[in-house]
Amino acid sequence: MTRRYYQQLLFATLILAFTPTFAQTDTTETEEEDYSMYDNLEFVDEGAKRYASVKIKGLAPQKLISVGYSFQGAHELETSAFGGFPASTDKINSVSGMRMEANIPVISKNSLIMQVGGRYWESNYDFEDKSSITNPLSATLSENGLRTTGLNTTIYKPLDEFSFLLFRASADMNGDFDSDLQGMEYMKYSVAALWGKRPSDYKQWAVGLSRTYRAGELNYIPVILYNYTSPTSKWGTEILFPARGHVRYTVNSRNLLMFGFELEGNSFRIGNQGTELNDPLNDLEIRRSELRFRFVYERQLTGFIWLSAQAGYRYNYSYNVDRLEDGDEFFRGFFGDQDYIMENELTNPLYFNISINLVSP
Amino acid sequence: MKLLKYSFLLILAVVISSSVNAQDEKADRLIGIWEPSHGKAKVKVEKIGEKYYGKIVWLREPVDPETEKPKVDKNNPDEKMRSTPLRGYRILKDFQYTSKNEWTEGTIYDPENGNTYNCIIKMTDDNTLDIRGYIGISTFGRTDIWKRLKMPSKKKK
Repeated sequence: MTRRYYQQLLFATLILAFTPTFAQTDTTETEEEDYSMYDNLEFVDEGAKRYASVKIKGLAPQKLISVGYSFQGAHELETSAFGGFPASTDKINSVSGMRMEANIPVISKNSLIMQVGGRYWESNYDFEDKSSITNPLSATLSENGLRTTGLNTTIYKPLDEFSFLLFRASADMNGDFDSDLQGMEYMKYSVAALWGKRPSDYKQWAVGLSRTYRAGELNYIPVILYNYTSPTSKWGTEILFPARGHVRYTVNSRNLLMFGFELEGNSFRIGNQGTELNDPLNDLEIRRSELRFRFVYERQLTGFIWLSAQAGYRYNYSYNVDRLEDGDEFFRGFFGDQDYIMENELTNPLYFNISINLVSP
Repeated sequence: MKLLKYSFLLILAVVISSSVNAQDEKADRLIGIWEPSHGKAKVKVEKIGEKYYGKIVWLREPVDPETEKPKVDKNNPDEKMRSTPLRGYRILKDFQYTSKNEWTEGTIYDPENGNTYNCIIKMTDDNTLDIRGYIGISTFGRTDIWKRLKMPSKKKK
C-alpha cells in the first residue's frame, strides 16, 4: 500500500513538474488579432521617460570603421618669398593618401550615447620636378608629406523626448612627422557644444558654438545642425554648418546619393624631419583649409559593409604659414591683422575619395 | 529501504519541478508589450516552443506616405517578403533565456534598413529591457532601452 502510494505520488509529481512547461509553450494567436487594442497603452512605470533619438529617419549610415583613399589631381603651389628664399611656383602631380577612422560606441543608451574615435590621414605630395625644387616649404612637403592623427569623442545627451545636447571634442596631431611623433605641445584641440530639438522622426536641428581649426587656424564660430528627411524618405538634408552640408537622395535603403560640401582643415606643424632645412622652418605651421564640393555615392556591399565614393572639386581656402614658437597658439579669427610668415596659394584640382566602411546598427 | 528510496525520488522530483517552474517564471517575464525608445512602434513578446519572439503590434505611422497604404516590409533583402505588412511582423526571433536576466541567441530586425542584427536582451528591472543589437561582436552595436506597457484589456466581439 505504502509503496504503491509513493509510486503514484511520484508519477503525479513528475507529471505536474513538467506540465507547466508545455502549457506555456505557445502563445501564438491563431485568430486574427485586433490591433486597435494596442492604441492607447500606458507605461507600467509611471516615471518612465521617452528620450529624443540620436537619429532621424533616412540618415546616411554612421561609419564605425572606415578605410579609404583620397586623391587630388594636378595643381600648383605658389609660395611667397621667405627667409631669403624667393617666391616660387611648383607643380604638384597629385596629393594622395590613406584615410583610416574608427568611431566606437562606449556608452549606448537612450539617455546617453558616448563614442570614442581615432583617425589617421595622410597627404603625400608628388611634385612634378623634385630636383628643381628650391623653396623649402615645397621641399619638405615633397620629402615628408603631411599627416593627421588624433582622438575624438562625441557625447549625445537627450534631455527629454524632443530636446538634446551634443558635445564633440578632438585632439589632433598634424604635421610632417613620421614614426617620431610631435610633442604634445603641438596638439590641436577642437570642441563643439550644441543644444537642439528633434520635433519629429523627420527633423532635428541644433545650434551651438565651436572652437575649431577647420578654417586652417584657431577660430571660434557658431555651428548649426539641420537634418531633415521628407515624408516619403526620398529627399533630405544632412547639415552641420560650417563643417559640412549635403542634400541627400535615397534611391533605396541600400543606395543613396548626396551633393554638398565639406570644409576640411587644420594647422600642420612643419618639423622638417630628416632634411637639411631645419632652420628657418622650425616652429612653422601651415594653416591648411579646403572646401570640397562633391557628389557622394554610398552603397551597401554586403551586410554592414558599405562603399562610399565621392568626387568633386577641391577649393583652397588657406595654405598660409604662421610661426608658433613651441606651439604657442594665438587667435587671429576672421578680422585679426597679424601678418603671416608666408602667404601661399594653391590652384584647385578635381579630387576623389573612396572608402570601405563598417556601419553602425 | 524502499520507502527511503521513493522518498528521495519524490523530493528530487519536487526540487526539479520547482526549479523548472522558477526558471520558467523568470524567463517568461519577457512576455508582454514593450515600447522601444523611439516610440514609433510597440512590440508584443510571446513564447513559442521554448523561444521568445516579438512582433510589431502598433505603429505610430501605420500608413506609408509614399504609397498611402499600410506599411509593408519594403526594405527586406528578400523580395518575396517586401509585401508583408509591418504590423504583425516578427522583428525579435529565437531568444532563449540563459541566466542573469538575459535572453540570447536571438536576432533583431530593423525594418527601416532591412538589416538583421545579433541581439542580446537584458532585463534591468521588471519593466525595462536593454536591447543590444550588434554586428559580429557586441562592441560594434547599439543599445536601446525598451519600457513595458500595460497589457490591453481585450475587447468583446
